[in-house]
Amino acid sequence: MVSVIDVSQVTYQYPRKEKPVLKDISFTVPAGQFLAIIGPTGAGKSTLCYTFNGSVPRLFGGVFEGKVAVAGLDTYENEIPVMAQHMGLVVQNARSQLFSVTVEGEVAFGCENLGMPREMILQNIRKAMEFVGLEGLEDRQPSALSGGQQQRVAIACVLAMDPEVLVLDEPTSELDPIGSEQVMRVVARLNRELGKTIVLVTHDTEFAAQYADRVLVLSEGSLVCDGTPKEIFKQEELLAKVRVRAPQVCQAAFELRRRGLPITGIPVTLDEAVQLFRGLNGQPTGH
Amino acid sequence: MVGASYIPKKSFLHHLDARVKLAILFVILTLALTFSHPVYILVLLAVVILAWASAGLPFDFLKTLVKYFTGIAVLIFAIQVLFYPGETPLLKISAPIATIGFSGTISQEGVLFGAAMVLRLVVIMAAAPLLIMTTPLSELILALVKIRIPYRFAFILTTAMSLLPSLQNRAFLIQQAQLCRGVGDFENRNLLVKLKASASLLVPLILGSFRDSQVLDVAISSRAFGAPTPRTYLLETHLRTIDVALLIFSALALIAGITLRMLNLGIIR
Amino acid sequence: MDNQPVIEVNNLHHTYPNGVQALHGIDLRISSGEYIAVVGQNGSGKTTLAKHLNGLLKPSLGQIKINGIDISPMRISELSRIVGYVFQNPDDMLFCNSVEEEISFGLKLMGFEQSEKQERVEKSLKRMGLEQLRDQHPFTLSLGDRQRVAVACILAITPRIFVFDEPTTGQDYFGGQSIMETIEMLHADGCTILIITHDMRLVAEQAQRVIVMNGGRIAIDAPPGEAFKQLDLLEKLSLRAPQITRLSQLLGWQGEALLDVPGFCDWVEQSWRTQDEAKRW
Repeated sequence: MVSVIDVSQVTYQYPRKEKPVLKDISFTVPAGQFLAIIGPTGAGKSTLCYTFNGSVPRLFGGVFEGKVAVAGLDTYENEIPVMAQHMGLVVQNARSQLFSVTVEGEVAFGCENLGMPREMILQNIRKAMEFVGLEGLEDRQPSALSGGQQQRVAIACVLAMDPEVLVLDEPTSELDPIGSEQVMRVVARLNRELGKTIVLVTHDTEFAAQYADRVLVLSEGSLVCDGTPKEIFKQEELLAKVRVRAPQVCQAAFELRRRGLPITGIPVTLDEAVQLFRGLNGQPTGH
Repeated sequence: MVGASYIPKKSFLHHLDARVKLAILFVILTLALTFSHPVYILVLLAVVILAWASAGLPFDFLKTLVKYFTGIAVLIFAIQVLFYPGETPLLKISAPIATIGFSGTISQEGVLFGAAMVLRLVVIMAAAPLLIMTTPLSELILALVKIRIPYRFAFILTTAMSLLPSLQNRAFLIQQAQLCRGVGDFENRNLLVKLKASASLLVPLILGSFRDSQVLDVAISSRAFGAPTPRTYLLETHLRTIDVALLIFSALALIAGITLRMLNLGIIR
Repeated sequence: MDNQPVIEVNNLHHTYPNGVQALHGIDLRISSGEYIAVVGQNGSGKTTLAKHLNGLLKPSLGQIKINGIDISPMRISELSRIVGYVFQNPDDMLFCNSVEEEISFGLKLMGFEQSEKQERVEKSLKRMGLEQLRDQHPFTLSLGDRQRVAVACILAITPRIFVFDEPTTGQDYFGGQSIMETIEMLHADGCTILIITHDMRLVAEQAQRVIVMNGGRIAIDAPPGEAFKQLDLLEKLSLRAPQITRLSQLLGWQGEALLDVPGFCDWVEQSWRTQDEAKRW
């Protein structure tokens, strides 16, 4: 099993802050995995994302201990532009990360920085734009697009650089439902169709339960739990303690169990819940 | 210059290579500073306005410019008129006040010089948008790089310009939010209150822009900005015959202008 | 309660300077004390509609009456005493050196007398639970606290109608809870509440009435229970009911939509307990 992300005993404190925002975090991510990172605001999720390409500590300063390696490259020994070839980052606010006059120019930016030959840039742009479903919008101004489109442009920007890993920090939290849906579908396909390793920071536990292979729970800078969605979302007490809202289907199962119904397992997705509750009522559960 | 951003059109100016436009701009600005006689500068202004018209650029912009700079223009004119040491008296106002250098008379030279200064200002303010409004930023960056300006610098310059519209949007939003909580009606207030109230716009604006620029910093670094490998460019530009011709013409115009100046023409005597 | 609606919108049209027509003839009656969620895609006109209520935008055509009075001649500063508009990002508004100063500055500019101003500031601090933080610099506070300060600034002007623009967007569940509790409190005080939001769970659990906008028109205007029943229509409008609502519908629930987890559990529990012994496994 090749681990494409290797985080080892990372502790980090922002400059002029009194407490570390990340405390002794260690985990590895195998290639091709869809990893969701959840946790309350302030848990350190974004900071963790920034460590993957060395933005923390290079751009932010502060005190950094431990080691982070992506695709075998240690962030201590390799500058951010080198790491950027293997890891693409999409941040929360779509608008703030786009600055070009045309979408095409925006998507080309990363490839140009890497010194790719022109034909290759054109090809990569075309493929990336097709993948995120924005063909035809090459000449549009990024600032004139909808939030969902902007985030998909941002994804195309990093996809065109062909990294092994894509890290997305709450890409949909500021989008409307339709924009969210568009973006999440692209993210899921990046993993399923292109085999990209995905690290997704999200508050949408329902989406994480549906698509992620694995969930990390971060709270106050520490890794408190690590497992499959099934393993994580059945832990009612833990989730309450770290103030993470479980998917509604889980909440329903917890509540009904409390009320004395014979709930045999905790469903984490809508389909599982339909199965479980139909079974409860003696209804046929076949698809 | 605020609010000047690229307007896509098909004009002669739009099709020129950005390097040529940079050269033309340079020549216009240099000549504006070389000459000090208002008639010569007026000729330059006429050229600029003709260029505006041919490029199909909005004259509203010029009108707004005039509106905002009338105050400064009047001030500059007044200062020159009152304090320029000219020899041909036009109008005697009062006795000389030696301490501030006031000669007591308005001279013909002063009036001319005042006019020249104002016109210079207008030429400079009107000429720069000629470049910015007819050139997409990607072409501008490429042009700057081709004349050997380091990419990083060219990028910072052009990105700053492109972010001006978003700054304006943000300022508008902040203004609206402030109005809703009672801050915004500044008539009949003392200066102190007005100053404090301007903070109500500036503080959120600057902080918000700063935060956004931090995000941008992370985003562009994550897309390999600053990589050591030589940078390639998607856009390609070539100098056509007309571009070369205009470059030569601009150079000649510059030489002609400087020659005139050296022959003591174009200044006020 | 009064018969006369507190907000009356008649045939409202709005076209932006760039030519885009954002509202096509909106008619709306809102009664005092209602808790309304306005939803729709970006571009559906929900924010445009809301901004007409406190004068940020003026109608291109049509009329708005608040408390029976046509608001078109009124300035924003006057209207803000009746309709409080809370923007999404508190940082677009905060600029003073202390929470107390932040609340009192607006009041000062609006011309309140010193004694009344002081009274309003105290009341607002108290109501929003900010007394301990009164001398703190707003920038040192958490987002949730900054939001409360922003609301406190508006509350000090004592409007009876509040419009909240995306109060929970960009936050996690518990962060959103804090502002929702504040809004609940205002509603309990008798204020009329309008929330523009994407958050369907919020709509399901809190709102008494949902207005769904689409293409500058009102597509649905109903209580959440009724609104979330219309699955096909919601799908077309690119909106999704909360997971628990969808689950109940997949399990055969037919009536008014089940809007939250307790409601769903009540149904499941009841149907389970009333089953025949024989039917159970």
